[in-house]
Amino acid sequence: MKFILNYIRKDTWSPYIAGILLGIVVILAVLLAKTLLGASGAFETLAGMIGKAISPKAFGTVYFDFIMPAGITWGVIQLVGVFFGGMLGAATSKTLKWGKKDAANSDAQWKRVFGPQTWKRWVLGFLGAILLEYGAGIAGGCTSGLLISGGSLLVPAAFLFMGGMFASGIITALIVYRKNY
Amino acid sequence: MNFLIAGILGLGFGFSLNKAGLTKYHRIANQFRFKDMMVMKFIMTALAVAMIGLYALRGLGLITFPTAPATYVVGNLIGGLIFGVGMSLVGY
Repeated sequence: MKFILNYIRKDTWSPYIAGILLGIVVILAVLLAKTLLGASGAFETLAGMIGKAISPKAFGTVYFDFIMPAGITWGVIQLVGVFFGGMLGAATSKTLKWGKKDAANSDAQWKRVFGPQTWKRWVLGFLGAILLEYGAGIAGGCTSGLLISGGSLLVPAAFLFMGGMFASGIITALIVYRKNY
Repeated sequence: MNFLIAGILGLGFGFSLNKAGLTKYHRIANQFRFKDMMVMKFIMTALAVAMIGLYALRGLGLITFPTAPATYVVGNLIGGLIFGVGMSLVGY
């Protein structure tokens, strides 16, 4: 028992143990709620809901009516859970940076590559997240919704997505790191 | 009730991501530089466990598969290519 408690307090688990935990969560989602886990879809349904409130005409498209129906869906609640789950994970290993000075920009490697300014982190984070969400929208899911959930049902799309993700990710890393790659 | 399950499963999801270190920029960036294979080990373990579990449960007749993500080769690939740029830059 003490061993388990000590393990929970560790900052970084073995990826195999954490992976088994995520695999069990995916199985439970199908078993208990008959849905697949996902993260990017929830942002789209939320965006659709906000968009419909502001301009019902512009957001009355097939996409926001049928493909990603707007509203508080199962995925949105799950995403809230993900947020607090991440906080819980950080709190148990005492690395929670809520309200600390370097909370938004604490990664040493990021500072070395892009510079120490926090605004750069915010701007790049925002632009990169647009790319992430747009790409996930086209592909039909993100790393969790398409790659892990879809992959566990052996959907070909998951493996095509992984190929594309790694191809462009490696090229981007090559450009960013150049000779330090 | 369904939303309660969603919240609890979300907690487990976020917890495992945090403990695997996927919330840190250097982990994801170094995966694309092949200096740190944690992300790949994590994803593949989760995939293997979920795959075995889901197919076993379907074999026992306890579940039916939910609607799987659709496959449309060009869209999946282009989406993946755009996604990879963002993932490599931001590291989330």
